[in-house]
Amino acid sequence: MSILAIDTSTQVSSVAVASKERLSAELTMQAKLTHSETLMPHIEQVLKMASVAKDKLEGIAVSIGPGSFTGLRIGLAAAKAMAYALDLPLVGVSTLKALAYHYPVQGVRLVCLLDAQKGNAYVETYRWEHGQLKVVDDVQVAKIADVVDWCARMEEPVVLLGDAVQKKVVGKIDLPQNVTAAPAHLMMPRAACVAMLGLEELAAGRNDNIMALEPVYIRRSEAEVLWEKRHPEEAKKTLPTEEM
Amino acid sequence: MAKENKEELLTLAIESSCDETSAAVLRGGRTILSNIISTQIPVHQKFGGVVPEIASRKHIVNIMPVIDECLREAQVKLSEIDQVAVTYGPGLVGALLVGVSAAKSLAFSLGVPLIGVNHLEGHIFANFLSAPELEPPFMALVVSGGHTALVDVRGYNNFHMMGQTRDDAAGEAFDKIARVMGLPYPGGPRIDALAKEGNPLAIDFPQALTEKGNYEFSFSGLKSAVLNYINSEKMKGHELNKPDIAASFQHSVIEVLVGKAFQAVEEAGRDTLVLAGGVAANSGLEGRLREEAEKRGVRFLYPSKILCTDNAAMIGCRGYYQSLSGRFSDLYLNAIPGLGLADCDD
Repeated sequence: MSILAIDTSTQVSSVAVASKERLSAELTMQAKLTHSETLMPHIEQVLKMASVAKDKLEGIAVSIGPGSFTGLRIGLAAAKAMAYALDLPLVGVSTLKALAYHYPVQGVRLVCLLDAQKGNAYVETYRWEHGQLKVVDDVQVAKIADVVDWCARMEEPVVLLGDAVQKKVVGKIDLPQNVTAAPAHLMMPRAACVAMLGLEELAAGRNDNIMALEPVYIRRSEAEVLWEKRHPEEAKKTLPTEEM
Repeated sequence: MAKENKEELLTLAIESSCDETSAAVLRGGRTILSNIISTQIPVHQKFGGVVPEIASRKHIVNIMPVIDECLREAQVKLSEIDQVAVTYGPGLVGALLVGVSAAKSLAFSLGVPLIGVNHLEGHIFANFLSAPELEPPFMALVVSGGHTALVDVRGYNNFHMMGQTRDDAAGEAFDKIARVMGLPYPGGPRIDALAKEGNPLAIDFPQALTEKGNYEFSFSGLKSAVLNYINSEKMKGHELNKPDIAASFQHSVIEVLVGKAFQAVEEAGRDTLVLAGGVAANSGLEGRLREEAEKRGVRFLYPSKILCTDNAAMIGCRGYYQSLSGRFSDLYLNAIPGLGLADCDD
């Protein structure tokens, strides 16, 4: 069973074709070009590299967020339209969880941080236990500097992953003794990890609704937050339309 | 292309440049099999205008149901589609990207050509859908939220720009003034309605660049004059005569548009003027253009109400005619939010 995996949640553009047994091909780059320009040509190329015809695919896995709102929508729009046209099952997988797939080792706390702007990150922490990935701390938005302090108080070795580490931690914040930043090639999202996670979900029979699937934004739009601040009474009465 | 008879080509078109998600199927260039429009106006109303991030969030949810619905209504299978056309600009970048990304993916998955379409050219081509007998050459007056332009349409793929806006487009002035007068979004139709009750000559607002032979537009001076007038009335403690303000403002805009449009018709030697763009739904403008056209013996056309709004059928129509001259896009197609109108000669 070969599937296509897509991750456009950060500045990395990554696509992969994989089955449970092997990663057939992966095209990952962090360059100046936009996802909008490169994503479809990359999908075309990675299928060619893997010698898999698009009509031989058996599913699509897409990194669903959190991450760059626009990046997520480019990936998801492409994934949905392709799943629709080729009649394939589609699964959205957590961008944070896919990051933790870089380090399938026990005894380490994996702290995944995706850029949430203004010094903040979407943070989720994980631990591998007996071959299973467990969420330790559920996703939240936190100041990156505070997350690093928090990691210092953890009793186990900590590995930091995600684009917020690349942008805001490496070379900018001194890390406590028990904390290391993942090396560059393992720090950023990769479609290979999205594929492996997606394959598990697809094998378990999951098939997301392509008509309704949305990115996991975590945050509402700034306009909405501002509106509620200005209209506290009305905000209480009506549920915000963008509430997740 | 497999089909010998181009009139049988099925084009799937997608439009997501602002606050409507739309998809359509056309047979040939002129026959609309379906034209589904999902509007977000109620969502943006409380913010007094379109919020780009919210628009993008709605597009990603609406895009597949709208495409699915347009195929169902057209009674066409996706596998029968011969080409995919999509708006790639101008518009809100995040909104455009949803449509562009979906269209590229559909074209790739189906193995059919992709056609990137300029939204403003799409507005002009809406006239071909409303008036089956219309053929170039003709003069087009484009009046939309972000653009005002006069385009000499010499052929389906041959345009000559007579002139366009230097600063604010007419539509922007309408929106801004409506907001200051406390009218709910979208302001254009409200001003149009109010103007019917007011005196267009009550207040003397300026008209810019009216010298003969100048086809450029400028509405920023008019916008400022109206805003200043409203402020000074408020400071004097006068109650605003909203119908008179709306009517006088609209009168200034319309007279400039009408004057330049018919000058352009004359200079280019055209017998037909078409109106295009969202502001084409303005009854005051349409009425004055019609009146002047009758006086001068010029044929005047404008799209039906639904084809004046942002819709995918007009994108499909423009895409079809682009495909006839081989103007296709590759999978690197990107959204261009600031895309303008330009000369074109294929």
